[in-house]
Amino acid sequence: MENMQAVNSFVAAYLKKKGFKEAEQLLEDLQKESAPIDFHNDPDLAKFIHHFSQSEDDVARYQDGYSKLRSWTYSSLDLYKHELLRVLYPVFIHSFMDLVAKGHLQEARTFFNAFHEDHELMHSRDLQKLEGVLSQSHLEEMEFARSLRQNKVNIKICQYSYGLLLQYLHKTQSTAMLGVINEHINFQVTSGQPGSISDDTEVVTLIGSCQDAASLINQKEIHWGLLEDSLEERLEKEGGLLSDSEKAEAENKEGDVDDSKKRSVEGGKQGASTKKLKKDKAVNATAKSARPEAKPTPAAPRVKPELTLPVMSTEVEQSILEDLRNRVQLSSVALPSVSFYTFLNTHNGLNCSSISQDGSLVAGGFSDSSLKVWDMAKLGQQAGSSTLQGENDSTSSEHVAGPNGVKRSYTLFRGHSGPVYSATFSPLGDFILSSSADTTIRLWSTKLNANLVCYKGHNYPVWDVQFSPVGHYFASSSHDRTARIWSMDRIQPLRIMAGHLSDVDCVQWHANCNYIATGSSDRTVRLWDVQSGECVRIFIGHRSMILSLAMSPDGRYMASGDEDGTIMMWDLSSGRCVTPLMGHTSCVWSLAFSCEGTVLASGSADCTVKLWDVTTSTKAPKNEEKSGNPNRLRSLKTLATKSSPVYSLRFSRRNLLFAAGVLSKNV
Amino acid sequence: MSIVPKETIEVIAQSIGINNLSDDAALSLAPDVEYRMREIMQEAIKCMRHSRRTILTTDDVDGALNLRNVEPVYGFTSGGPLQFKRAIGHRDLFYIDDSDVDLKDVIEAPLPKAPLDTGVVCHWLAIEGVQPAIPENAPVGAIAAPSNGTTYEQKEELPVDIKLPVKHVLSRELQLYFDKITELTLRKSDSTLFKEALVSLATDSGLHPLVPYFTYFISDEVSRGLNDYSLLFALMRVVWSLLQNPHIHIEPYLHQLMPSVVTCLVSKKLGNRIADNHWELRDFTAKLVASICKRFGHVYNTLQTRLTKTLLNALLDPKRALTQHYGAVQGLAALGPNVVRLLILPNLEPYLRLLEPELLLEKQKNEMKRYEAWRIYGVLLRAAGQSIFERLKNFPPLPSTPAHAIWKSKEKVVTEAPTLNNIHASR
Repeated sequence: MENMQAVNSFVAAYLKKKGFKEAEQLLEDLQKESAPIDFHNDPDLAKFIHHFSQSEDDVARYQDGYSKLRSWTYSSLDLYKHELLRVLYPVFIHSFMDLVAKGHLQEARTFFNAFHEDHELMHSRDLQKLEGVLSQSHLEEMEFARSLRQNKVNIKICQYSYGLLLQYLHKTQSTAMLGVINEHINFQVTSGQPGSISDDTEVVTLIGSCQDAASLINQKEIHWGLLEDSLEERLEKEGGLLSDSEKAEAENKEGDVDDSKKRSVEGGKQGASTKKLKKDKAVNATAKSARPEAKPTPAAPRVKPELTLPVMSTEVEQSILEDLRNRVQLSSVALPSVSFYTFLNTHNGLNCSSISQDGSLVAGGFSDSSLKVWDMAKLGQQAGSSTLQGENDSTSSEHVAGPNGVKRSYTLFRGHSGPVYSATFSPLGDFILSSSADTTIRLWSTKLNANLVCYKGHNYPVWDVQFSPVGHYFASSSHDRTARIWSMDRIQPLRIMAGHLSDVDCVQWHANCNYIATGSSDRTVRLWDVQSGECVRIFIGHRSMILSLAMSPDGRYMASGDEDGTIMMWDLSSGRCVTPLMGHTSCVWSLAFSCEGTVLASGSADCTVKLWDVTTSTKAPKNEEKSGNPNRLRSLKTLATKSSPVYSLRFSRRNLLFAAGVLSKNV
Repeated sequence: MSIVPKETIEVIAQSIGINNLSDDAALSLAPDVEYRMREIMQEAIKCMRHSRRTILTTDDVDGALNLRNVEPVYGFTSGGPLQFKRAIGHRDLFYIDDSDVDLKDVIEAPLPKAPLDTGVVCHWLAIEGVQPAIPENAPVGAIAAPSNGTTYEQKEELPVDIKLPVKHVLSRELQLYFDKITELTLRKSDSTLFKEALVSLATDSGLHPLVPYFTYFISDEVSRGLNDYSLLFALMRVVWSLLQNPHIHIEPYLHQLMPSVVTCLVSKKLGNRIADNHWELRDFTAKLVASICKRFGHVYNTLQTRLTKTLLNALLDPKRALTQHYGAVQGLAALGPNVVRLLILPNLEPYLRLLEPELLLEKQKNEMKRYEAWRIYGVLLRAAGQSIFERLKNFPPLPSTPAHAIWKSKEKVVTEAPTLNNIHASR
């Protein structure tokens, strides 16, 4: 009965404190008129209520509970430890945020300092952000914190680990921890053995605010095939006319193409179609071996263009066909030649560089708002060091005389009023687009050496702009968290892609022009449908800001590079990471696939160009589920530059690799 | 609590004219100041990344402030690194050292030199995946072994070193390097500095432009300095080092180098003093020749045949001096047991007949000559022994008896047969 009294008084105190006047009144009435209710005799419940009332201001129980949970986790069974460790991080950040939300700022800080080291390794960037949260209003204001608190974290955990955890929480009566876990963690309990440590991607993404949405979006169907009637296809057909056997083969291939097209229209189940395709390929294999220079993946399905494509003049077509015929076949044994353009005396002002398709023009965007374009063909003549092998179309940019009569070696384009963050050449090299911090994109003509159009639409600095592979259309990405699609003849954007939770840092077109990919500071890459403007894929897995993107020429894969130096290869159809490529130690500024998609080149701030073998993945898609992980992509070669961070890379149509970088003293 | 102490807030408040800021206000402002600072930094880092830099600058912070529609902080964009000084009398109050500048000085100062204009240069980073060893590329070895700090290396670090690859124009650094090396070779070949130079020759990349000059230098000096033993030895060492250097493609210059090298092997007279140990030079050169043959034999298939022909001619010409014979034998022996077996062993019998009179005290009165003859004899023994031993190694189950049998049959050369067998037995 004494116990009873105590409970009642606790409840009363609690209600009073919380300001529940009516409830308090009601309780008092209840106490007066009726005998004590007997469920109060349950000691457990009493204790629970006791906990609630007494420790409302006792923030130490967070610290206590967490440290106990932590030591329990660390001493748990090895087999289940890594699963239980996954629970620790969300508990930690939510405990911290709860403390902040309740106004115990000092305690929150001590709590944070005491335990944040455990998670430094995996979540250092998130922790840096959270460290700045110092008051309730910050929680509201900071998007990251808000999304964390609004969404539940999904954790995959095996039956037994789950049992262990529940048992522990009940046994120790750590209500604070139980509360956090109930409120913020959504356990997906799987039967059987605990998952392996290697699928740690989930650990990284469990903070993702939209995991359910992401998996839903990734269900959507996409047609990653190449465009119908492309030049490459035509070239193959042309080659097929040479002899009867080859003709037969070409037909065979066409049949293939039709087949797969039909199937992708029907079901869009790419998995099934690729499996079938593989079989078809095996049939073709004998025929193909007779012609060694055949394209490695001719069986990619073809799709119709969703945009009206610009018409190509016949001369241009002829020159491209010529290039395609003379292309050097690259593979893991036949590495490309790399021509390196070094910018000198930039005084730390170069923000970006871009190389035209044939490597003859090099553009640099500077922080003093200028855009400078060098004609390498002319430069070569001047210095007597032309190293380009007749790939230079002679474009007619005049050497402009400076104001004081001194000849400049470049063409200066002035017009922006803020640092130029990105530049891109049209496929034919006759136009340049540049994007700047002044929120505009400008179109320049290399023939006229003049500004033609200024595209205004973004509200914040435009980080990146990219011409589509066919020209005419271009995509831009900005600090205003949108990516936009434009065409050269309209000053308004055609589409606005909104959905990223932070700056959109880079943008890249898909080979068939029906999709664009965007990389963002929210550490995701998204794929958007150009026609509908919808997000069709979300790629989650990077641990820092995405800096560069590249699409494989067969349209099946995408590579993305981040701030930490990690490169990830993604399968577009499944939305999953094929494999991460580790090796760079600093930001990956640029990525480029070779024209037949066998070699991936990456340029980084650590002053290297790395070449990666990606044939293993493109030749044997989809079998990683079955046989572990056989398609390890590997680094083929590391080419070190002389203290020049590599800013941009470009494969010419003949598979010569151009790279550009700045000679810098302090790297 | 916050990393911004409340004193800082108070100081800032005073600096903008609020003198009576309460403690509470300062305390509650501090966390917000920290939060805003972090926010600005986050944006500044974005600006830094998009400027393709890994070092944060004041420009980035200005850019970030711009993004937030805040007026940038003026006065920090130019000049070197900022220096913070501690305010006297305060433990944790710092200020930026901002010295007064007299406007008159600024106006009267001569105009500074215009900065160099931006330029682009082009070079091959790789040709079919292989990095050419040109000054524009990072030296591969330098990354692995930074301790290799010769004067040349240090010079290479300077950015001025980037020059256009203009044909036949040596950079000033390379010219100095060449002069230094040749001087060391000619004058101070016994100094430790010369050893350093040899290491540098063997490891540095970017020396390729100098190779023709070195080959010319070597052949020139060899033909002129046959009397100078130490010079010849130094030159051979230089050749050895050049051959060791993985960044140099020496093949095109081999035809110029080989005559000088062979000269040092089979020349009649090397050095003009008796004290000169020309045997050692010949031994060293023999090794050098063998290594050249081993490395480039498959590229120039005529290399070894031409060489052996020269050496064999020298050996079988009875008119040649004994020292020349010695060099020839040594050279052939260095080429391996097979060469010995095919070329020396068949000629051993007639040659020994020729050599025998020189060996005997009663027939050859000149002690010098006799010594030379014995020396050849020793080398022959070694070469033949080595070759036979290699042969025998291929038949492990057979003991040395077959060799014995072979040599038993050569009853004529009685003197050496037992010795040879002894050598075998002793191995």
